[in-house]
Amino acid sequence: MAVPRSRVLDLMRTQCRIFNTTYNPERLRLGTKILHQRLKGPSIASYYPPRIGTIKQLRRLYPEYDISDEKEDEWIEHLQVQTSRGKAPPKKKKTAADSKKFNKKKH
Amino acid sequence: MSQFRAKKLDLGCYVNIRNIRDHTKRKVYAQHEPERQALRYLIRNTSLPQRVRAQAQLQLSQMHCYTRYTQIKNRCIMGGKGRGILSDFRMGRYQFRLNALSGNIPGVKKASW
Repeated sequence: MAVPRSRVLDLMRTQCRIFNTTYNPERLRLGTKILHQRLKGPSIASYYPPRIGTIKQLRRLYPEYDISDEKEDEWIEHLQVQTSRGKAPPKKKKTAADSKKFNKKKH
Repeated sequence: MSQFRAKKLDLGCYVNIRNIRDHTKRKVYAQHEPERQALRYLIRNTSLPQRVRAQAQLQLSQMHCYTRYTQIKNRCIMGGKGRGILSDFRMGRYQFRLNALSGNIPGVKKASW
């Protein structure tokens, strides 16, 4: 018992309406396959764990607490020692004339 | 292609340049994925004029290589290795063994029969 084509097309149309797909009885290549694909970007971008719990982030989260950074403290202490010995980095030059002052060619 | 790289380190795992590069590629891919899919749709849709499809092809081929999925490779988050990665655990096979034996990976235990 052959089913007439119009009945089959009706069925296809209903299927497409229910499952939210494109009605395409001529089977043209419309590329809807690509629109159906899920975007995998977010899951791919979250492969590596993010950097959390740094002292900078902690300070921003809890400004009322005084959070000490051992490395930073060490660096500041070192800098103070160097300054007292006169070995600290020179001050930044503000103007062009200042920077020229020490850059004269030596004969 | 350091123009895409984050200005500050944003990786919490083992860091080497290859891991940073892969992380950058992943972020760039996620950012450009909708654009790529739209172009791919234009190319595959045979009901569109040939000129539009050819232009879309050209545009897709001229996108930066970092926006391509094939550039992305799973790397070990514990040691940065690129081969022998168990993608479920994001670790190389030896790091997986070490961590599994020390009980750091929940639900994994050594089988014996």
